[in-house]
Amino acid sequence: MTQNKPLLEVRNLHTEFHVEKRIAKAVGGVSFDLNAGEVLGIVGESGSGKSVTSLSILRLIPDPPGKITEGEILYGGRDLLKLSYEQMREIRGREIAMIFQEPMTSLNPVFTIEKQVTEPVLLHEKLNRKDAIERAVEVLSAVGIPDARRRLKDYPHQFSGGMRQRVMIAMALICRPAILIADEPTTALDVTIQAQILELMQKLQGEREGSSILLITHDLSVIAEMCDRVIVMYGGLIQEIGTIRDLFGNPLHPYTRGLLASIPREENKGKKLYAIPGNVPSIFDFPSGCKFCSRCEHVQDRCREEAPELRELAKGHLVRCHFAEELS
Amino acid sequence: MIPTFLGITLLVFTITRFVPGGPIDRLMMEMSMSGSGEAGGGGGSAESSVDLPPGALDSLKEHYHLDKPMIHAYFLWLGDLLTLDLGKSFKYNIPVLELITKRFPVSMYFGLIGFALAYSVCVPLGVAKAIRHGSHFDFGSSFLVFLGYSIPGWALGLLLLLLFGAELEWFPLGGFRSSSWEQLSFFGRIGDQIEHTFLPVIAYAAGSFASLTILMKNSLMENLGQDYIRTAFAKGVPSRRVIFSHALRNSLIPICTGLGHAIGIVMAGSYLIEKVFNIDGIGYLGFTSIMDRDYAVVMGILVINTGLILLGNILSDVLYVLVDPRIRFS
Amino acid sequence: MSTPILELKDCEVHFPVYGGILRHKVATVKAVDGVSLDIHEGETLGLVGESGSGKTTVGRAVINLLRATSPDVHLGGQILYRTREGRQIDLNGLSRREMRPLRAEIQMVFQDPFSSLNPRMTVEQIVSGPIKLHMDLDRNARRNRVHELLEKVGLQSSYASRYPHEFSGGQRQRIGLARALSTNPRIVIADEPVSALDVSVQAQVVNLMEDLQDEFGLTYLFIAHDIGIVYHVSDRIAVMYLGNVVEFGTAEEVFRTSKHPYTRALLSAVPEPDPDGKRPDRIVLEGDIPTPLAKPSGCGFRTRCPIARPECAAARPNFETFSDSHFAACPYTETLNEKGTPHVEPRV
Ligand SMILES: Nc1ncnc2c1ncn2[C@@H]1O[C@H](COP(=O)(O)OP(=O)(O)O)[C@@H](O)[C@H]1O
Ligand SMILES: Nc1ncnc2c1ncn2[C@@H]1O[C@H](COP(=O)(O)OP(=O)(O)O)[C@@H](O)[C@H]1O
Ligand SMILES: [Mg+2]
Ligand SMILES: [Mg+2]
Repeated sequence: MTQNKPLLEVRNLHTEFHVEKRIAKAVGGVSFDLNAGEVLGIVGESGSGKSVTSLSILRLIPDPPGKITEGEILYGGRDLLKLSYEQMREIRGREIAMIFQEPMTSLNPVFTIEKQVTEPVLLHEKLNRKDAIERAVEVLSAVGIPDARRRLKDYPHQFSGGMRQRVMIAMALICRPAILIADEPTTALDVTIQAQILELMQKLQGEREGSSILLITHDLSVIAEMCDRVIVMYGGLIQEIGTIRDLFGNPLHPYTRGLLASIPREENKGKKLYAIPGNVPSIFDFPSGCKFCSRCEHVQDRCREEAPELRELAKGHLVRCHFAEELS
Repeated sequence: MIPTFLGITLLVFTITRFVPGGPIDRLMMEMSMSGSGEAGGGGGSAESSVDLPPGALDSLKEHYHLDKPMIHAYFLWLGDLLTLDLGKSFKYNIPVLELITKRFPVSMYFGLIGFALAYSVCVPLGVAKAIRHGSHFDFGSSFLVFLGYSIPGWALGLLLLLLFGAELEWFPLGGFRSSSWEQLSFFGRIGDQIEHTFLPVIAYAAGSFASLTILMKNSLMENLGQDYIRTAFAKGVPSRRVIFSHALRNSLIPICTGLGHAIGIVMAGSYLIEKVFNIDGIGYLGFTSIMDRDYAVVMGILVINTGLILLGNILSDVLYVLVDPRIRFS
Repeated sequence: MSTPILELKDCEVHFPVYGGILRHKVATVKAVDGVSLDIHEGETLGLVGESGSGKTTVGRAVINLLRATSPDVHLGGQILYRTREGRQIDLNGLSRREMRPLRAEIQMVFQDPFSSLNPRMTVEQIVSGPIKLHMDLDRNARRNRVHELLEKVGLQSSYASRYPHEFSGGQRQRIGLARALSTNPRIVIADEPVSALDVSVQAQVVNLMEDLQDEFGLTYLFIAHDIGIVYHVSDRIAVMYLGNVVEFGTAEEVFRTSKHPYTRALLSAVPEPDPDGKRPDRIVLEGDIPTPLAKPSGCGFRTRCPIARPECAAARPNFETFSDSHFAACPYTETLNEKGTPHVEPRV
C-alpha cells in the first residue's frame, strides 16, 4: 500500500434527513481515508448509513429532505463540500464515478446505450461524437459486452440484469475516474452473475493504475473477496476499520464478530447459527451511548451512558468499543 | 374494437326503437296537427285517425325499416353503413352524412385549437410546477388550476361571453364568423376569425386543463425520483439537462398516449359549448337531433364519434410505440 | 423407506404467453418442465437455483395456487400428497373446493415480508385468517391461539393488535410463520423466507424455523437461491436450472461431491467469508440463464456449461445414479475434473 497522501479524505461527515418534523441522523460523524490503488469496503446491515455516506461524497443527497450538516471531503486538495455546483459537476463522473444496486432501473429506459454511455465523455472531455462512440465501443468491450458496436443502438430493456450492470460500469469508467464508488453493485444479481461482475471489477482494478474503489455491500464474503481494507458501519457510525486480514482474523467489535458468526458455514451444519439478538432499531430509536448497546451481549452500564470513541488499537485497526481490549 | 362498436350502436338503436315519441308517432302527430281536424271517432287506432293516403304510412315505415323486426332493421342499417349510407334526416330530409360533414370542420376547428392550447399551456405549466414543487408559484397555480377544474367549460364560456362579449364588447357574441364575412378584406377576415375563435377555444381548453396540468406535474415528479435520474446526476450531467432531457422524455410518455384519446373526444365537439357560443357544430346537431327524435342523425353522429374515438385509440398506440422504446408492435 | 409425504412425478407447469393483435398464444413458458421429487415426513428438502429456474412455481404448484392466478396454465404430471390417514391424493387435478381442506395441511411462507402481509389488517387478523377458514374455534379460543402462536415465533402476544408496518423485516417473517402454523400444517413451503433479511436476522429466522420443525414435526420445502443457507438447513437438496432438477441428493452429497457442472459452478461462485479463501479454481459461468421461452434443446445448461459437447444438444440427459440417494442429470460428469475444473471444495 502506498504511503502517499490518501486520494480521498472524509472528515467528520454528518448527514441528516428531515422526516416528519424529526431529524434522522443517518451519518453521525464518519471519517476515513481512501488510498490510491486500494479497494475499500463498507459493510453493515441495511439502514446503517452506507449508501448515505457514499452519496454524500458526490453530494447526491436529495435536498430536501437531506442535508450534509458538517464535515469535509478532501479530494485533490479541495473540499468537495465547499465547491460550487458547477465545480462539483466537473468532479462527478470525471474524477469520481458511481454505480448503483439496481441495474434494472439505474439506466434511462428511453435512451439508447450509446447516448447514455457517451454522455460523460461528451460532457467532460468535449470529444466529438465519433470519438466518443469509439471510446464507448472500447469500454463496452472491456467490460465484456459482446458485439459492442452493434449493441450501441439498443435500449436498456434489451439487456439482462448482469449486462446492464456491465453497461453501468462502462459508463462509470469511460472518463477514467480516479475513484469508483460501487453501492451494492451485485446485490440484485444472481450469484453466478455476481461472480462475473466481481471478476470484472477486479480485472479492471488491476488495469486502472492508482485508482481506487469504494465498495459498499452488506455481504462480508464479497468484502473478503474484493477489498484491501474494510469499514464496518452501524447506526451511522464507523464501528471498526482495518485491513481485511485484521477484520476477519482478529475482529475487535462485538458487532463485527456477530456479523461474522451469523454467516452459515460448512462446519456449523446441524448446529444453531449465531444470531445477533434483536433487530436494527429504527433510525430514531438508536440508544444514546454506544449505538450497538441495545443488541450487544457484553453490554455494561458505561456503554449506555458514554458513547465510545473510535480508537486505534493496532496500526490501522480502529474500533469503537469501550471494552475491545478485554473482549478480545 | 369492432365488438365495442357493434355493442354501442345496437344499444342506441334499440333505445331509439322503444322510447316513446319515435319518428312515426312524431310524423303523424305533426300531420294531424297541420292536417284535418277531423276526429276519427272512437275505436280507431292511431293509424286510422290520420288522413293519410293509403299505403303512404307503409311506404314511410318501409323506408325507415320500421316494419321489420328490430334486429333485422339493425342489420339493414349496418348494411347501409357499409356503403356509407347513413340514411336521411327525418327533420331536414337530407342525407345524414351531408349534414354531418358540413358541420364537422367547424367543430374540429374549435376542438383542435382548444386542444392545442391546452397542451401548449399545461405541459410547460406542469413542468414548472414539478420543478418548483412546494413553492408559492406551485401553490398559487394549483389554486387557479382547481378553480378552473370546478367550473365546467361551458359555464366558463358563458361567463367569458357575458363579461368580454356582452359587457366589454371586446369579442363578438358567438357564431363561427360574422355575417358580413363576405364583404371583409383579407386581413379583416383573419381578425374576424380570431375574434370569434378566442373565447370558445378557452372554454374548450378549460375542460382538460386541470387534469392535464396535474398529470404532467405528477409524471415529471415521479420520474425525477427514479434511479436513472440519480445516475445522470452522478455522471455530472447539468441539472437542466437532467430535467429537460432525461426526466422530461420519460414523463411525456403518459401525456403522449393521452393525446390520441383526447383528440378523438375533442373532434367530436361539445354540445354545451357550441350552444353557448352559438356554433353550428356536431355537438349542437347531436343534441338537437336527440330532442327532435331524429334518429338517423343520432345514429350517424354516434357512428362518427365512435369512429373518431377508435381512431384516437389507434393514434395513442402508435404514439406509444414512437415514444417508448420498450413497446413494440408484435 | 416409508411413502413420501409429498411426491412430484414429472411435474410440468407451462404458462401460455399471449401476444399479437388477436391476443393469441404466441409461446409457452416452460417454467417447470418435468420435475420429480420426493419429500419425506419431518425432513427439510432444499430447492436451490438462480432466479427464473422455476423454484417458486414448484412451490405454488404444490399448494395448487397456479390455476387461481393463471387459469390457462398447463399442469402436467402428478403431485401426490399422503394424508394423515395414509391415502395418496393427486393435488394436480383437484378443484379449489377439493383442495380447501388440504390447504390447512400445506401452508406457505413468502419471500417478501413487506408485501405478503396485508397492511390494513392487524397481526391478529392476519394470523387468525386461516384459523377461521379451517378450524372450528370460537372467538376467544381463536384469540388465545393467536397469542400462543405469536409467543411460539418469538413475538409478544401484545403485538396482536398492531399493524405490519410497525415491524421490521425479521419480525414480519415471524408473523408470516405464525400465520402458516396457525392451522397445524404438516408441510410448510418456505419460498425464500430469509432472502430479504440481513444476515444477523436471517440467522434468527432460520433458527426459529428449525425449532418449530422439531416442536411440531414439520416437513419443509425450503426454497432459496443462496446455496449456503440451503445447505445449512436442508437434509436433502435439489438443484434446479431452467425448469429442471439437475441434481438431487443429500445435502452432503450435493455439497461435497457434486456431480453436475451447474451445481459445481453455483458452489464455486459463492464468495468465501475469508480473505485467504479466494480460490483460483472458480468456474465463472459465461452469459446469463436463458429465458424459459427459448430453452436450449437437449440439456438446458449446455449453453453455459464448461464441459458441453455437441451431443448435449440432442436429448435431455437422464439422471445418472451415484448412490441410492444421489442423482445428477449429466452423463459427462467424469470429464468435469479433466477440463481444468477440478472439484471445488464446498464453500459457504
Ligand atoms: N431520502 C431519505 N429520506 C429520509 N431518510 C433517509 C433517506 N435516505 C436514507 N435515509 C435514512 O438514512 C438511514 C441510512 O440509510 P442508508 O445509508 O441507505 O443505509 P444502508 O446502509 O442500508 O445503505 C436510514 O435509516 C434511512 O432511514
Ligand atoms: N404466471 C406466470 N406467467 C408466465 N410466466 C411465469 C409465471 N410465473 C412464473 N413465470 C415464469 O416462469 C419462470 C420461473 O419462475 P419462478 O418459478 O418464479 O422462478 P424462481 O422462483 O426460481 O426465480 C420464469 O421465467 C418466470 O418468468
Ligand atoms: Mg444502501
Ligand atoms: Mg422465486
